[in-house]
Amino acid sequence: MKLSELWLRERIGSHIKLADLCQKLTLSGLEVESISPVVNHFSDIVVAEVLTVEPHPEADRLQVCTVFDGDITVSVVCGAKNVFAGMKAAFAKVGAVLPDGMKIRKAKLRGVVSEGMLCSASELELAEKSDGLIILPHDAPVGTSLREYMQLDDHVIEILITPNRGDCLSVDGLAQEISALISCTLSSLMIPEITPTQNHMLSVVVNEPDSCPRYVGRIIRQINVAAVTPLWLQERLRRSGLHTIHPIVDVMNYVMLELGQPMHAFDLAKLSGDICVRHARSNEKIALLDGREVTLNTNTLVIADQIGPQAIAGVMGGQFSAVTADTQDIFLESAFFQPQTIIAAVQNYQIASESSHRFERGVDPYIQKIAIERATQLILEIAGGEVCPMVEVQYDAQLPTHKKIILRSARLTKIIGLSISSETVFDIFTRLGFTARVIEAGWEVQVPARRFDIKLEIDLIEEIIRVYGYEKISPTSIVAHLQTNRLFESSQLFSAIVATLVAKNYHEVITYSFIDKKIQNLFDATLSPLELVNPMSSEMNVMRTSLWPGLIQVLQYNCNRQQTDVRIFESGNCFRQSTEQFVLAGLVAGSVLPLQWGVAERSVDFFDVKGDIENLLLLSGQSLADFSFQPLDHSALHPGQAASIYLGKHCVGRFGLLHPNLAKLLDLKGNIYLYELDVALLQKRVLPQMKELSKFPTVQRDIAILVDKSIPVEQIQATIFAVGGELLQSLTLFDVYQGAGIPLNKKSMAFSLMLQHVARTLTDDEVDNFMQNVYSVLQNVHAAELRSMT
Amino acid sequence: MTHMDLDLILQQAIDEITAASDLKTLNDARVTWLGKKSQIIAALKSLGQLPADERPLAGEKINLVRQKVQALLEERLAELNAQKIAEQLISESVDITLPGRCQKIGTLHPVTLTRNRIEKIFMQMGFASVTGPEIEDDFHNFTALNVPPLHPARAMQDTFYFADGSLLRSQMSPVQIRVMKQTPPPLRIIAMGRVYRRDFDLTHTPMFHQIEGLMIDENINFSGLKGILTQFLQAFFSKDVTLRFRASYFPFTEPSAEVDVACQSCEAKGCRICKYTGWLEVLGCGMVHPEVFHQVGIDSERYTGWAFGAGLDRLTMLRYGLTDLRALFENDLRLLQQFSGVIE
Repeated sequence: MKLSELWLRERIGSHIKLADLCQKLTLSGLEVESISPVVNHFSDIVVAEVLTVEPHPEADRLQVCTVFDGDITVSVVCGAKNVFAGMKAAFAKVGAVLPDGMKIRKAKLRGVVSEGMLCSASELELAEKSDGLIILPHDAPVGTSLREYMQLDDHVIEILITPNRGDCLSVDGLAQEISALISCTLSSLMIPEITPTQNHMLSVVVNEPDSCPRYVGRIIRQINVAAVTPLWLQERLRRSGLHTIHPIVDVMNYVMLELGQPMHAFDLAKLSGDICVRHARSNEKIALLDGREVTLNTNTLVIADQIGPQAIAGVMGGQFSAVTADTQDIFLESAFFQPQTIIAAVQNYQIASESSHRFERGVDPYIQKIAIERATQLILEIAGGEVCPMVEVQYDAQLPTHKKIILRSARLTKIIGLSISSETVFDIFTRLGFTARVIEAGWEVQVPARRFDIKLEIDLIEEIIRVYGYEKISPTSIVAHLQTNRLFESSQLFSAIVATLVAKNYHEVITYSFIDKKIQNLFDATLSPLELVNPMSSEMNVMRTSLWPGLIQVLQYNCNRQQTDVRIFESGNCFRQSTEQFVLAGLVAGSVLPLQWGVAERSVDFFDVKGDIENLLLLSGQSLADFSFQPLDHSALHPGQAASIYLGKHCVGRFGLLHPNLAKLLDLKGNIYLYELDVALLQKRVLPQMKELSKFPTVQRDIAILVDKSIPVEQIQATIFAVGGELLQSLTLFDVYQGAGIPLNKKSMAFSLMLQHVARTLTDDEVDNFMQNVYSVLQNVHAAELRSMT
Repeated sequence: MTHMDLDLILQQAIDEITAASDLKTLNDARVTWLGKKSQIIAALKSLGQLPADERPLAGEKINLVRQKVQALLEERLAELNAQKIAEQLISESVDITLPGRCQKIGTLHPVTLTRNRIEKIFMQMGFASVTGPEIEDDFHNFTALNVPPLHPARAMQDTFYFADGSLLRSQMSPVQIRVMKQTPPPLRIIAMGRVYRRDFDLTHTPMFHQIEGLMIDENINFSGLKGILTQFLQAFFSKDVTLRFRASYFPFTEPSAEVDVACQSCEAKGCRICKYTGWLEVLGCGMVHPEVFHQVGIDSERYTGWAFGAGLDRLTMLRYGLTDLRALFENDLRLLQQFSGVIE
């Protein structure tokens, strides 16, 4: 909320410095977002009287005026159409500086000397645009500085009002709050009761007392259609960020800013018959003031006449019955609508207004008559008219009441952790305008109905501590019972994986959980992803089912910035058929090692990345033999370089080369390897149990065989392990060869076997027999031919 | 053998051994002068042919020569060995300024660094780190947090929805609700993770990270909350930062506060980073609202609690001097590489 410092100061009896006041407000929960001067700097602009206006001898559009600035009379050339003899105007003397920095000089305009400038509102940056000069009131004292006359040494204070403090959305409410905070007096507004001069009344029927417990209305007739909103009122609206629209509408807005009561004025001539506050009927429509036409819901509260809805209650009036330049007779509305009713309407139609903003948060249910009297007073001042009696419909049972709440002093101390003296508490309540009575347990407090935020004891506690000052509560150390959290093996695995990846030159990235549906489909057309109803953009419209698209985007981003050696990983949730799965994914592209001396440059291949993955799998504490890599058919991966990773029967991950079609589509060059691991499935972390080491020597033997090219090495290894039994300590594949000297469709593989007996030294014969046995089994099972055995 | 013969042998041996410039030549000399077939050994063997009374003197003379040759051989061997090592050392010297051959070291994302750091701080105080789903229902994200459907605070956060009415959590609080429903007090937890709001500008991304903390016990109060947050922020920034608690409003806590730290780049004098206020907002906190306790079935008369929430991304930016939030999710390797070797 924005408002003028001077307006606020009119109401509080204190000369507190602006900065101190704002600090106080900010600390107590009304955050001051900005303080700015109401107008940019200008100088030497005064109230002047235009004495004569003559046509310019050389220019049709210009006029030559004589202007008295309080000291001297000068000749001024002026282009504005609304200049007239006898008017009071804002006059920039020779030497004056305008807000935009322009300096006024004595000049000749088409042969006529001009010594100064008559100003428009926009030239003084008092309006965005203006049509002609500012016409100052007739009683404006000539010679007075405009800054002083228009009270321009003022500031706009912008305050962030939290949703609980609807009572602070007015000058009145803020003044009340400030008086509690800085303990100063409040000067109250004098609002006279106005005696009606005519007796016209619209009868008002309220069908929905739960939604509208009070409705006050009044007719004012024969207002002056030529009336204009006075400058002071225009300025106050402007300083609160509102535009001048029409004198009647301006008064409605002014009273809303002043008292917090939203009001509406109908053109009486456009209303047919009496007023009914009711729910909309099915298929009723209304064209609203903002130009929108909406079909109303049957649970929307409307203000209707005999013909149909003329306003959505508390939110916005209709165009048909709006006040216009021709309006002579008006019907004023000042009502109390329940917050829930208004919130529902705002959510329903997605319309918000200054009015709904206040009703949603709660308007004082006891100020409707005061507000209508205040508006009447101002309308009479500005536009005259004949005042008719007030109509009031009131349902006491439905009106919010002044609540009585008990505050226990023990509870206050328990929540704050500090004892505040009874006198201080009592004083704070009094300053807030609450009525407190001391009782045995503490206080019984009566809270004004305008404080919608106060319903419970805790709300009173908050008021006390807020006004008392958070800064006066000293921090203490909490005394608590020592308790450890168990360190689960499963929770260690993930940090070990991450640390290993970092050690292997992977960079961790974080990408959005929502991605472009089109990209998602490229990576997995079989899963239909969860779609957002209200996405930020079409590039973020579905929840990812895989981390790969995000990693690919990071790759693209970096490739576009000449970073082509990319090793990245991300961990996070994937959203697959309404389950959230925690996944770790990696992407590797470019060189296997950073460019350096003494190492031949080489692009990363399948087995470089597989090595990384195997290292990660080993962190689970299980041996590689527990895992298997099986061929995978995946639309995003190269069919000849794609694998599922199994732990026993469970698939725990996927890995492969980005499909060349997809790479081409995404305009990516070089081989890109992708993998993902379902960490949760790996989390059966096995603790190593120490085995005693054999004291007897080990024997190393090698065997090289020729087998069919299509036989996976995993099968051959399994065969050797099966034959090896307890003697075989380890088996290492150290060479794979195809090509010259090897028949087509065959491959040569060389294994190194480490043998050891737990209880004795192995003899040469034993070892020879062992190796012979290994070979004959390989021969039988895989039709292996022996190349060498050493 | 005569005197003259022995002297001649000795002289020849000396000449030959001294001239030996490598181990092989030296070994040849050893064979020549002290080998089984050498003159010296032959002379010793032939001592028996001398008359018995001449033998001792002759033997002594020959042995003397033998010892001299032996000593000379050893001396020369040591010299040649030293020479060889010296040559080896010279030939094996490298340019030690050549860079080492290696894979580089990767990095953790700065938000993860912040997350790990905060987790450590709270672990020290016996807090458990908990998690929960990112797709939530209305009850856990709003209603249980004292934000029923027709509540003006609903407009404070613009939330992402799915067709079935479920939503992306807009805060970490639903995790607190789930823990409170499951575990009876006393409770000491933190929850960190991704949260989502429909906002995208210089200081907002539609996805960001939050930490929330919750402590419930029989003696929890606002003064203790001030204490623990002071300790937390001082531990996080590793210095005595000045804190300011401002009254504020959150539906799920009361009393509520926003916590500002004195701007460190201008020492609270006012600069561009703190928008000339001298303060930077870092977290929101408050005492758990009795209505929240009611929703999860905790006796609010017996137990009180506090909760706080902070943006991990914002804390990351403050700690590492980052000015554009969006850069955290662009994952530019040149930016990430600046965190190489940073461990938390």
